[in-house]
Amino acid sequence: MPERTVSIASSVGLHARPASLFSQAAAKAGVPVTLTTKAGKSVNAASILGILSLGIGHGEEVTLKAEGDGADAALDSLVELLSTDLDKE
Amino acid sequence: MADSALTSLLAERSILLDRTATDRFDAVRQCGAALVAAGAVDESYVDAMIQREETVSTFVGEGVAIPHGTLAGKEAVKHDALVVLRFPDGVDWEGNTVSVCVGIAAAGGGHIALLSQLAEILLDPEKAEQLRTATSAEQVYALLAPDEDED
Repeated sequence: MPERTVSIASSVGLHARPASLFSQAAAKAGVPVTLTTKAGKSVNAASILGILSLGIGHGEEVTLKAEGDGADAALDSLVELLSTDLDKE
Repeated sequence: MADSALTSLLAERSILLDRTATDRFDAVRQCGAALVAAGAVDESYVDAMIQREETVSTFVGEGVAIPHGTLAGKEAVKHDALVVLRFPDGVDWEGNTVSVCVGIAAAGGGHIALLSQLAEILLDPEKAEQLRTATSAEQVYALLAPDEDED
């Protein structure tokens, strides 16, 4: 199963706005995407509540996994999103 | 839990269980007004909350939205606080219906722990339902209090 590890670039972590943008993108990815923290907790990346419940801070590493057609492309774009400071406007 | 518990940031008079709003921005303004009334933020924070809502919806699912300010609005925060506003008739939130708004004022990085605790509660469909239908401040406190005797 394709997977990528990325550290959260948003200066305030993966909270409300970045989490919302990320989960929306994950929901549109066309394949189910799982996000796993270093501590081993996994959630559906398309669930904003799931993402928020993890309380992921700036610089923390997470692993994204996806399966199916287009999984690699979906992961690439989601990794790009997490590598961007989504709190910059 | 060593992190600031949700209930310690929520004053009883900041729990308003019988509100109506014309639209989501009206609901956000009411949350802002409640935070101002709680002495947690300056008036300018309300505009920061509206700005955030315009940029991206704060709807999180389970009939709940979590209005809060932008990063720039943090200077208007005097102390961290929560408000809980319930809209029994529901408020249209870009096609979703919101029954409960949890307004958040947070100056530092404490909001990540706050949101995490709140999300944990809402991920339990039964608790989310109880929050949507709460009719007393006691019920809201009981839901937001850290679990002590259950899983």
